[in-house]
Amino acid sequence: MILVRIWSVAVLTYKEGIRDRALHGIGLLALFMLLATLLATQLFGYDIGKVTVDLTLSTIGLAGLLMTFFININLIAKDIDKRTIYCVLSKPISRSQYVLGKYIGLALLITVSLTCLIAFSSVVAYLCKASYAEAYFKDFSWTCYYQACGYELLMLLLLNGFVLFYSSITSSSFLTMLFAVSTYIVGQTIEEIVVFFQKEAETIGFSSPLIQHTVETFQYILPNLSAFDIKTMASHGKLMTMSHTVFLVGYSVAYTALLLYMAILIFKRREFN
Amino acid sequence: MKSFLKAICIGAILVALYIPLTVKLQEQRKLFLDTDFIAYTLPSTLIAPLSLEFKGVTADFLLFKFMTFIGGRIQELPNFTDLHWDYLEDTLDIITDLDPYYFDAYQYSQIFLAWDAGRPESANRLLEKAMENVPDNYRFPYYIGFNYYYFIKDNQKASEYFMKASKLPDSPYWLASWAARLSVFSFEHRAGIMFLEDMISQTRDERIKKYFQKRLTALQILSYLENKVDAYKEQYGKMPASLDDLVSSGIIKEIPEDPYGGKFILLSNGRVYTTSKMLEQQ
Repeated sequence: MILVRIWSVAVLTYKEGIRDRALHGIGLLALFMLLATLLATQLFGYDIGKVTVDLTLSTIGLAGLLMTFFININLIAKDIDKRTIYCVLSKPISRSQYVLGKYIGLALLITVSLTCLIAFSSVVAYLCKASYAEAYFKDFSWTCYYQACGYELLMLLLLNGFVLFYSSITSSSFLTMLFAVSTYIVGQTIEEIVVFFQKEAETIGFSSPLIQHTVETFQYILPNLSAFDIKTMASHGKLMTMSHTVFLVGYSVAYTALLLYMAILIFKRREFN
Repeated sequence: MKSFLKAICIGAILVALYIPLTVKLQEQRKLFLDTDFIAYTLPSTLIAPLSLEFKGVTADFLLFKFMTFIGGRIQELPNFTDLHWDYLEDTLDIITDLDPYYFDAYQYSQIFLAWDAGRPESANRLLEKAMENVPDNYRFPYYIGFNYYYFIKDNQKASEYFMKASKLPDSPYWLASWAARLSVFSFEHRAGIMFLEDMISQTRDERIKKYFQKRLTALQILSYLENKVDAYKEQYGKMPASLDDLVSSGIIKEIPEDPYGGKFILLSNGRVYTTSKMLEQQ
């Protein structure tokens, strides 16, 4: 029964999202960018397979980010803004079921949309591959390609966990977007910042221990989103190890679960005026 | 009707203003881009984090910029100043920091830094980076070895790298013997010819192909003339006084034309030299 209630909220969220015109706009933009890949590869000399993978995967990543920041955030904020949340919460659905249902709905929307884009990008990659000599695609690997797509999807699912968490602490969709974008930027750069400070400390002994410890502590608190970015590796046909993949999936599931749990705790105590 | 006409008139005036201005702006931009270029690059420690998860595409974009920069000025390469080459070298360095496996970027460092900029050491520095990241590609040690041999004139180092290259998968069978024959006189042009042929086969860019084809033709003529000088020596037991002796003795019909517009001259040691130095003549 609980699962049915969660599922019904998820389906509602998904349906609302799929009807959003912005989603169609993002979809069209992504399709256009994927088609442009066919022309853009003509501009490069030798590593055409690499450029094809770079462009198609980056388009998928960009579309996923646009969906997260401009559609999914609104999907949650709209419920509170338009007060439709009263109708939902007056039904026999608990707040925790509502939060979980919302997350599953967002995850479903991202997964379905990205799967469509991945399918289309595969056709584009296949066409590129078919129109050039084998030598230009010697490092190309479908396994690596789909692994990178899977990693990207995992990253977006984790980011959507943040979206839900921030939505539970603020009712402003603008603030949620600001926090989510900041989290994304910090998450993508934190690993490089830590490495930078470590190198500085090793080479010129410049970095103060306080800064270094602070940065290292943040590394454990903030999400390491750059770990999900294996586009460069995939574009050169380099497969990530099974252990890396297993730990990354575990990491993202644990992190998302923690975020959802905190979101539920905050949401339960929240008053809607 | 009146408001419609008014809207049409205002629209027409605005369009009439816009068209000449946009044409003028395009002309100004062309002038600006032809004479100036932004000669700075951001360090990769900054570009890499700024690129977020789009490092591969950023590397592609920078390489594309590199190509359009070179492509638009391919005839002016001999006139490039240190400022131009510093900018291009930094760009290649950043691209290979963003994507350390990018073959095209390493290839261009060899093509342009070693051959045109006269910076074989810089090319070797980037190619060492390539060897570190793509250790099983024989081309990188081969290029470094070639630079040591052809430009830096350090046969020992060259031999060392040719040997390294010869042990890697898909390396051509002649690499190992090259390593041993580096000091043989007149081998230089043949090495250059084989190297350029290999480079041409690796690129799809027609402009670069054409550019290197010209250099290849010049080297082929130099090699041909030196072989004919050897034939003269064998026949007459002495060196020809000049290349004209080859024609008067009937060994060659005529002295070929230098594709760069220079003149071929016979040096006292039997080597043939061109006054164009294989650079475009102004």
